[in-house]
Amino acid sequence: MISKTIEKLLSKVQKPGRYVGGELNSVIKSKEDVEIRFAFCFPDIYEVGMSHLGMKILYSQLNTVPYIWCERVFAPWADMEEQMRRCQVPLYALESGDSLADFDIIGFTLQYELSYTNILNMLDLAGVPLKACDRHSLSRLVVAGGPCACNPEPLADFFDLFFIGEGEEVDLEVLALYREFKKKGGTKQNFLQAAAQIPGVYVPSLYTVEYREDGTIREMRPQCGAPKTVKKRLMPDLDKSYFPDRFVVPAIEIVHDRAVAEVLRGCIRGCRFCQAGFLYRPFREKSVDVINKQCFDLCENTGYDEISLSSLSTSDYSDIYGLLDKLHTWTPEQKIGVSLPSLRVDNFSTELMSKIKSVRRSGLTFAPEAGTQRLRDVINKNVTEEELLKTVNTAFAGGWTTIKLYFMIGLPTETMEDVEGIANLGQAVVDAFYSNPDKPKGRSVKVSVSTASFVPKPFTPFQWEPQDTMEMLREKQRHLVRTVKTRKIELSWHDAETSFLEAVFARGDRRLGAVLLKAWENGCKMDGWKDFFSLSKWLEQFRACGIDPEFYANRRRSPDEVLPWDHLDYGVTKSFLIEEWKRARENRTTPNCREKCSACGAACFKGGICVENR
Amino acid sequence: MKTVRVWFRKTGTARFISHLDLNRCMARAIHKAKIPLWYTEGFNPHAFLTFALPLSLGISGERESMDMKLEDNALSDAELMERMNAGLPPDIRVYAVTEPVMKPGQITAASYRISLEVENMDAEQAAGRIAELFRSETLVVSKHTKSGWSDFDLAPYLGNIEVSAAKTTVEISSVLPAGSSLNINPTLLTDAVGKYLHLEFYAKIRRTCLYGESQKIFE
Ligand code: SF4
Repeated sequence: MISKTIEKLLSKVQKPGRYVGGELNSVIKSKEDVEIRFAFCFPDIYEVGMSHLGMKILYSQLNTVPYIWCERVFAPWADMEEQMRRCQVPLYALESGDSLADFDIIGFTLQYELSYTNILNMLDLAGVPLKACDRHSLSRLVVAGGPCACNPEPLADFFDLFFIGEGEEVDLEVLALYREFKKKGGTKQNFLQAAAQIPGVYVPSLYTVEYREDGTIREMRPQCGAPKTVKKRLMPDLDKSYFPDRFVVPAIEIVHDRAVAEVLRGCIRGCRFCQAGFLYRPFREKSVDVINKQCFDLCENTGYDEISLSSLSTSDYSDIYGLLDKLHTWTPEQKIGVSLPSLRVDNFSTELMSKIKSVRRSGLTFAPEAGTQRLRDVINKNVTEEELLKTVNTAFAGGWTTIKLYFMIGLPTETMEDVEGIANLGQAVVDAFYSNPDKPKGRSVKVSVSTASFVPKPFTPFQWEPQDTMEMLREKQRHLVRTVKTRKIELSWHDAETSFLEAVFARGDRRLGAVLLKAWENGCKMDGWKDFFSLSKWLEQFRACGIDPEFYANRRRSPDEVLPWDHLDYGVTKSFLIEEWKRARENRTTPNCREKCSACGAACFKGGICVENR
Repeated sequence: MKTVRVWFRKTGTARFISHLDLNRCMARAIHKAKIPLWYTEGFNPHAFLTFALPLSLGISGERESMDMKLEDNALSDAELMERMNAGLPPDIRVYAVTEPVMKPGQITAASYRISLEVENMDAEQAAGRIAELFRSETLVVSKHTKSGWSDFDLAPYLGNIEVSAAKTTVEISSVLPAGSSLNINPTLLTDAVGKYLHLEFYAKIRRTCLYGESQKIFE
């Protein structure tokens, strides 16, 4: 329930529907009936946050617990923020309209580094002290989880506790502990020390960091009995893991406005640049019947007419045809379409296409990631040009005329020849269209080539690699533009500046907390949005704090350096990553988990493909 | 095939749902309710939802309607209502289903209740000033048209306006031209109040009814 004060602001902003709640399936409880109020905060706008599956899962799950009320909070767009600050309206949760400051626990999901300033801005908008050490009571505990929690060090000053790995169980364990402490009137300090004993919980204030003269870390020392390493939590059996039977259905249009089923977690592939591929190991699948039931329930309870089968690589699902067949027993009759968000080049077939083409004819997306076979071997993207051409030919024969190809530039060992390879591969796709006898008659082909800048990430074999400097990245972009010879190829690229900042924070340490705070104080926010991001402003803050961002982004680490995230354990061992790094430099690929286990370390979780392989 | 007119309220948080989004909400609720819409081959099912008259963002509607084509004897009105409500946001409520009498194209006017919470004057005094303003010979405001902003004289349309003071608010009720030939948004009235009387206020506007020729209630 939003207050009248809030209503008054809404006549002055664009898209007021973002700020009012009241959606179908949103959960309303009475404050008096619950013991813990949990604010689930997404540090971006409503339309982005509401599209996020992890949020939907935890929101529903927490609300199944009678003593918890979980509500949603999003970052307001600049116009709303201005109104809120002018009228001193604190940032509020959509369900109750209550200020974020009234909550027991304020939980953020960390999806991308460029949302960090929004976190500070959101806390400030509710008058919550930003630094953990300035919040003394047990209430307003600020916690976070999500992929970026794998290196939470740049945020260590601001958060009381991080969840490492998958949240379904550990969240509830921490909340149960919190309930006990709240009941008996325990202190925040004692609570945090007790929580640190729960596997998967990282309490940054219980670790001290010592640095060497050269700026690298000498040691991370745990205190008060906190564990030396915190191991991620993982749901070994996805069939038994909680999944909501309904989503909050936004009344305004959001980015991904559809039912989403999670078919599997992890990825068998092991592309060396891909952090998710390592963080979520091992690969685990849900069974066809469970997915089918979850899809059915979601559609029944939301009214969506589209289901997206989501995961890192859905076409790797071992029984994808069985699943699609099962879904087809009821979806056509109910006028529900099924879509796959990502396709792999090597297992795209006419059969698969015929089952999904009824949904999205808009365009097909493939990610060869690198332009030459050599570089694809370096990154372990096991896709050949031949396979790509075979696939696009199938697609052309099936009536598609628009193909999107995703690449990265700035990958380790990349040369200008590899950059030219991107243009050549695009050209080969165009040529394939014209020499395909079954292509759609009278239509022309469009190949969109989009390139992102490579950002080295923790827990990947490239975590020791320098990122190309912005100048190098731009030179490669220019070279690519020069090499493209046809108008049928449409080029686009991510801007190197945001990738640079992303690289700094991805592998940053605690000293970046000061820069982050200063940047926010000087107006940096919504850094993921073009209209707001200003690298020059950021560089000023780095200078003012005496911190060299290139130390984080562009420096080659040595394998024996203590990395800021070394005290976190995602199962994949450092020795495996070093071995992979070495193989990369030798242009050698590694088989995927289904072909052969490479003993990466994730078998310690005793689940998924590691067990099936034995 | 039969056409039904579904009557609903769009109030509270739902007044911040745009017309386009309302259309999608309704389509989703119909889909969720498994209401057997009548389809013709090759048409987009959304095209079958015909709203009497779109409502501007921020204004509540107490007697809104939407027409849809159903297969014959598909389900009872009560059942249709119940199932639709189960799929709509709580602030959109279907309350009746009828057989259409008039066509949406016949709509010529709409009635509104405007509740003004005036911040810099007491309600009694403000009501007096506002009533006087609405009696002016001419009352020019800028109106957005297809060709941009232009001056528009409201005075000829304020014949049946009523202004009164409640405890803390000024209540205005008026019937304004609505529909395809001339549509006057009630916010033009509040614009005039702000522009000429320098009052600061928060306005809550409700559309209460739609009318056809000679004040005949739209049914
Ligand atoms: S232990 Fe083997 S099967 Fe399991 S994730 Fe690692 S490489 Fe794959």
